[in-house]
Amino acid sequence: MRGAFGRYLRVDLATGETTRPNLGPEVRAALVGGVGLGTAILAHETSPGFDPLGPEAALVFAFSPFVGTSITTSAKLALVAKSPLTGRLSDALSSSDFAIVGKRTGHDAIALVGRTAEPSVLLVTEDGAKLHPCPDLWGDGATIDAVDATLRERFPGHHFAAIGPAAEHGVRFACVANGGRHAGRGGLGAVMGSMGLKAIGVRGRARTQTADPARLVALSKDWATRSLGPETAKYRRLGTVANLAAFNRLAALPTRNFTASTFDGAEALSGETLQRTRAEGRSACRNCTIGCEHFFRSRRGKVKLEYENLFALGPLCGIDDPEITLAASRTCDELGLDTISAGGTIAFAMECSERGLLDGTPYARPELRFGAGEVMLEVLGEIAFRRTPLGDLLAEGSRRAAERIGGPAPDFAPHVKGLELPGYSPRALQTMALGLSVSHRGADHNKSGAYEVDFSAEADRFAPDEAAVRGAIEAEDRAALLDVLILCKFLRGIFTDVYAETAPALEAITGRSTRPDDLRAVAARVVRLRRWFNEREGWTLDEDTLPARFFDEPLPSGAAAGAKLDRERFTALRAAYLDARGLGARGFLSAQAASELADLVDDLSR
Amino acid sequence: MVRVELYGIPRLEAGTTAVEVAASNVGEALKALGIRVPALVPDVVEPDGALSPHYLVAVDGGDLTRDLARPLRPGDVLVLVSAHAGG
Repeated sequence: MRGAFGRYLRVDLATGETTRPNLGPEVRAALVGGVGLGTAILAHETSPGFDPLGPEAALVFAFSPFVGTSITTSAKLALVAKSPLTGRLSDALSSSDFAIVGKRTGHDAIALVGRTAEPSVLLVTEDGAKLHPCPDLWGDGATIDAVDATLRERFPGHHFAAIGPAAEHGVRFACVANGGRHAGRGGLGAVMGSMGLKAIGVRGRARTQTADPARLVALSKDWATRSLGPETAKYRRLGTVANLAAFNRLAALPTRNFTASTFDGAEALSGETLQRTRAEGRSACRNCTIGCEHFFRSRRGKVKLEYENLFALGPLCGIDDPEITLAASRTCDELGLDTISAGGTIAFAMECSERGLLDGTPYARPELRFGAGEVMLEVLGEIAFRRTPLGDLLAEGSRRAAERIGGPAPDFAPHVKGLELPGYSPRALQTMALGLSVSHRGADHNKSGAYEVDFSAEADRFAPDEAAVRGAIEAEDRAALLDVLILCKFLRGIFTDVYAETAPALEAITGRSTRPDDLRAVAARVVRLRRWFNEREGWTLDEDTLPARFFDEPLPSGAAAGAKLDRERFTALRAAYLDARGLGARGFLSAQAASELADLVDDLSR
Repeated sequence: MVRVELYGIPRLEAGTTAVEVAASNVGEALKALGIRVPALVPDVVEPDGALSPHYLVAVDGGDLTRDLARPLRPGDVLVLVSAHAGG
């Protein structure tokens, strides 16, 4: 079979039983792979209303036809589950050898269901899967780095995806690490931890055929060359940390739990300063020609840093000391914490503490203040191990913490659907505000991409119109396509028309006639499928909004001083989004659309 | 005079955070910037003074634009940023 094996591996962790359900040609054409296929398998394997941390949950590792080919940035996998943070779909992407070797086990996806009897490692090969009990790897000392080293020694030849202590302790924003990368958002590590699985190792040599190898090689060479052009120069020269100083100047840099969007200490943390004073080289994900990973010196050694870590563990917490931010980023990676949610939740707690909302409660920590870097580092550990009442509270994420604290806390807990906001100030980037609100995963910059509209000359970033809504939809669809194929989003700038330019590559791999419109339909279908899953799990339109702060409190300073979201305009834009998506006034799919998706999910062998 | 603030790669290339130029609109400012800092041509400022599609400007950090005809007054600040905001 070309580009795919036409089956997935289903492993029941409670019994050790494995099966290989078919993935039929209709399903593969409709969803291709990645998050599309992963979502369908998740929905197929679970019942409505299931507990994401319960024994009935499932976790899917999905590959794609592009994985294992020569196409740049294609060594990626999608992890898909119901998020314990949001209760909605979470699909996180990650790049590593795990993706290539995982597919070489001879499966288009690996679906895990059930719970192990004791902490275990699952090894998957072409012959199937086997559980290996590993209680010695489950405990307070088992950081991700330590576990990875031990696993490689104990099970040579395998590549691993593993969880850290945070996931073992059920932190709702724990991630899954693989090859130094992290499927970070939405708490998928907590799902894996609740299954009793410390790691999954893969080893295999199975290969799929390519329909037109010469054409694929030519396209691969072309894309690799273009990936070194000006569209990716920022990522190669400075990395994503370049965003910080520019965002600060545009008053789009979330600061002190979104109370402001400019930060006095931005210069010390800027990518330009870090590059000048601390650069320690860069690297790339497997099979990537761009190489956006930049490393920086710190007293704790060389640390990989990206904009989202930098903003969340820096300005968002009022911290301007690069040593603290680098240490915090490293700590999150070692413990297996999503840096955005960790920073967002701690920043929220800092504000609660400053406003006296924790006084007289078991969570009180008077020294927890914006700018208290050493305290932030301590609290990260308390969260990962649920070691103190405060750590245990914050391990639940900002939404649940705010509900427990009560009073005005929910108005400034920085989340959408429970997922903490990324480093794009909604009041200064108002098309992005819409994108964050309607995203199936919650406040997310990888699924929406609506900031592309704000960062264009076509939209007013303080007063978007219906044209901006169309731009947000196009950006969301393009992101969905990239997550289906799966390609890195940093490659998107090289395409004039991502549908027209990726269709020949998919056709060269699968041999299946693929027109640009086919891929447009796939992207739109996958967006609908995610909404369908969320509807099944109880979504309502009331979730598609932002915290009250963004509507009620104008930004205090900088180029966006006075900006806030207008409720009437926001509601109108959201209605325009729903209308353009063909959804009803309350945001639900039509009966026909829902029925088509249900049929697709019910019989994956079609 | 108009102050052009540089961020990211333009700052690295220019070796400075800002450049003062005489200009009455965005196009004139960019053309003068290209002359003052030739290393920014053609990746940031095109040889004819147009703005590369990979960059945007914001007068005083406000609205992002590519409008070369937008008037500037003495003392204005032109903020030059990457159009690629992925993070």
